[in-house]
Amino acid sequence: MLALAPDASSQKAAQGLSSPAKWLVRGMSGEVLFGECKGSGAKPYQSCVDLSEPAYRCSCPSRKFPCKHCLGLLLSWSADGVPDLAVPPWAAEWIDQRAARAAKAEARVEAARAAASAEPPEPGGSGAVPSGARAEQASGRPDTRTVRQARVAAGLSELERWLGDQVRHGLAGADPADWQGLAKRLVDAQAPGVASIASRLARVPGQEGWPARLLEEYALLKLLVVAYTRRAELPAPLAQTVLQRVGFPVAREDVLAGQPVRDEWDVIGTRDEEVDRLLTRRVWLRGRASGRAAVVLSFAPPGQPLDASLVAGTTVEADLAFYPGAAPLRALVAVRHRMAEPHTAAPPGLTPDAALDELAAAIAGDPWVDSWPLLLSGVVPGSAQVGGLPLHPRHRDPWRLLAVSGGHPVTMSAEWTPQGLRPLMTWDEGRAVLL
Amino acid sequence: MKWEDLVSAALVGTDRRAYPGDLLGDAALEVIRRRAGHPTPAPATAPSAVPGSGEEAVSSGEALAPGGAAPPEGTAPPEEREAVPRKAADRLRRVLGGEQPRLLAEWLRLAAGSGRRVPAHVLPDLLDRGDRDRSIREHLGLLAGHRGRWLAARNPAWAYLLDEPTGETWELGSSGDRRAYLKHLRESDPEAARTLVEATWTQETPDDRAAFLELFESGLSIADEPFLEQALDDRRREVRQQAANLLSRLPGSRLARRMAARIEQAVRVGKHEITVTPPTECDRAMERDGIRAKAPAGTGARAWWLQQLVARAPLSVWPGPPAELLAKRIPDWDTELRLGWVRAAIVQRDPEWARAMFEWDPIADLLVALPPWEQQRLAAEFAERHELDNQLIMVLGGVEPPWGAGLAAAVLNKIVKMAAVQPWNLGELSRIAGERIDPALHHLAERASAEQAVQEVAALLRFRAEMREELS
Repeated sequence: MLALAPDASSQKAAQGLSSPAKWLVRGMSGEVLFGECKGSGAKPYQSCVDLSEPAYRCSCPSRKFPCKHCLGLLLSWSADGVPDLAVPPWAAEWIDQRAARAAKAEARVEAARAAASAEPPEPGGSGAVPSGARAEQASGRPDTRTVRQARVAAGLSELERWLGDQVRHGLAGADPADWQGLAKRLVDAQAPGVASIASRLARVPGQEGWPARLLEEYALLKLLVVAYTRRAELPAPLAQTVLQRVGFPVAREDVLAGQPVRDEWDVIGTRDEEVDRLLTRRVWLRGRASGRAAVVLSFAPPGQPLDASLVAGTTVEADLAFYPGAAPLRALVAVRHRMAEPHTAAPPGLTPDAALDELAAAIAGDPWVDSWPLLLSGVVPGSAQVGGLPLHPRHRDPWRLLAVSGGHPVTMSAEWTPQGLRPLMTWDEGRAVLL
Repeated sequence: MKWEDLVSAALVGTDRRAYPGDLLGDAALEVIRRRAGHPTPAPATAPSAVPGSGEEAVSSGEALAPGGAAPPEGTAPPEEREAVPRKAADRLRRVLGGEQPRLLAEWLRLAAGSGRRVPAHVLPDLLDRGDRDRSIREHLGLLAGHRGRWLAARNPAWAYLLDEPTGETWELGSSGDRRAYLKHLRESDPEAARTLVEATWTQETPDDRAAFLELFESGLSIADEPFLEQALDDRRREVRQQAANLLSRLPGSRLARRMAARIEQAVRVGKHEITVTPPTECDRAMERDGIRAKAPAGTGARAWWLQQLVARAPLSVWPGPPAELLAKRIPDWDTELRLGWVRAAIVQRDPEWARAMFEWDPIADLLVALPPWEQQRLAAEFAERHELDNQLIMVLGGVEPPWGAGLAAAVLNKIVKMAAVQPWNLGELSRIAGERIDPALHHLAERASAEQAVQEVAALLRFRAEMREELS
């Protein structure tokens, strides 16, 4: 339960509020938990948790999310249970608002789905590619899209020339100022995906074996430029991948309009990172029946709460809608079918061999893949490798993982990266443990 | 062309070293081939054999050794103890994470007492803590289980764990094990414990000898006297000192008789007056009996010797009850004599003297000579009349936990009073109350007052009550 808390001080505060004595009213109706908590003011705080997501609402002014009242309510519910009561008006209002919002979103998706099916795929293999003609139909604003494509094409051809220069003059002369300028020009060229790769280059020279790392990055950038210029000849899914890597966004409605994958999804890890003054949360999932890997991203400006609806170490039955592409990984949760259940045993994973085969297939589909969630079982972790797969240099000596293993095979999840595995979770006597 | 060659070509630049074809294109192919390929020919069948990955013997290719019946070297043996329940483990993680950090020692003591162990995933954090904080180590040997020692053998920072007791025997165990074994035996059968130590005494290291003698406090009797008298001639100072301390608590010992004789020389108790003539030198015999010749800075040598003589002489040498003696006039060396009596009451655990001396000088050490109920009664009275200062905290710190309702009420009362006048001074008092009051009294504390500081004490008690329940 405490894993839902945004930070340690919230955990502590929530503990203090878990005593039934702190609550004037506590009740439950269906999957909605609600309560009124004595606060410092005259009016009690009204807290409400929808367990099916979970989603939270509280009348307190706290900017933490979920706030200590909601967490305290959850703790007291899990420790002592709460009586079944009719939903009070203030909670009913919130539930109605949520239902209305969900219905609206559903309607948007339906509209997008209808539009997609009304439009027959184009011949010549570029079916889902928003090439000029299709984009004009879809957006109804012909100019913006073609103008942008022209800008991107110009920016990328400049990049190609620049890469050529680098290789001719030699990587030894690489200058960090160059990459910053390059990244800025690519942003101006409206190719934000490529721009962010370029800005990451500045971090490479500090790393072990930097010439090789730099060559890898240049080679993949060059490949992306070539793929973009020749996108009309590519199979549709790969062309989609190329467009997204370059930085063309895909609308949420378009993603949700695709065929969803219903499965029991194990949440096998999360990581929050701040990039360019934006908090990014990655939540990695693996489907029990489909065997598919997925990542759900959410964003928030610093200080604002990130989406907390997927909790590591639980299983969620849900429909996931994948972003189109040659090795689809990023997904949205379209529908949740049941409350998430915490793991009581390690979920079934792959042997290292099977995981490497899956990875090979993903890279064959999308050569720019630089992150892929794996769930390995029967692996013996060492100080620098797990089941034969090397660990990321910054994640050597994974003591907590070694402690759980004790030299015996374990199940563990990890994020594969080109530099090695970054361990995410393992299961200690059946309980999920973050690494 | 090999990857390494591509890298060196790119590093130098194709202007200087011509490259036949598209270098970046070839590199892209090579990158993809390398990423998509398996890192070793057969990783699944040889988990540790990753060439050049810096792998040591830590991980175990031996896991797949032929035969496979016996657990291979490099794997931790199965645990004998069960792990603590999930909720208890969660609470330990919270405490390690900084919530109520001072309760760590109590958690560990309760868990060790429950005969269980800590789940493996908490071990790295716990062992790191033990690396920085020696005081928690004594329980870690048992709580960390085989997995803990397996880890300690692989991380030098945690190697201290290998010296902590694990329940092994006297003959085979580590020094920590042997101390634990001896402690246990001394508590149940003091005679057997002494005989055991005597058998190997001369072969033990000085550190062990000193540590073993520390354990003789429990079950101390005149039967230990000959052994202890011998230990007065030990080569190690700590051993001699501890033997002298123990002997001075045995009124029938030869050392006690020698001390009594020295007191008769130095002190004359008259009808209304006590005349004191401290020794003028500290001879070898006195030093052998544990008297330290060199006075600490600021104390005169004769005063120092006198205090020690009084502290080590059996209290039975004094004619009459302590109250009567304290009422007599002591023209010279008054303070030294009284300080000696305080030490004597503490060392000899004499309740009557401790009670009397606490009246004169309420120091926490005197409380050890009194039964728990009396410690609490004295401390409660003291809390009522004494202001909130270091001395009060010290006295309260000397009262053996758990505190009952009487002392709890007195201290909570004090907190309410102080909260009104100097709330900034409450920190330590609140903490010590929360940590020492019997956690079963948390309801009492919750109802005692709406005062924030009292409610914080109540919350701490509740936390401890839950902790106990989870580990019961």
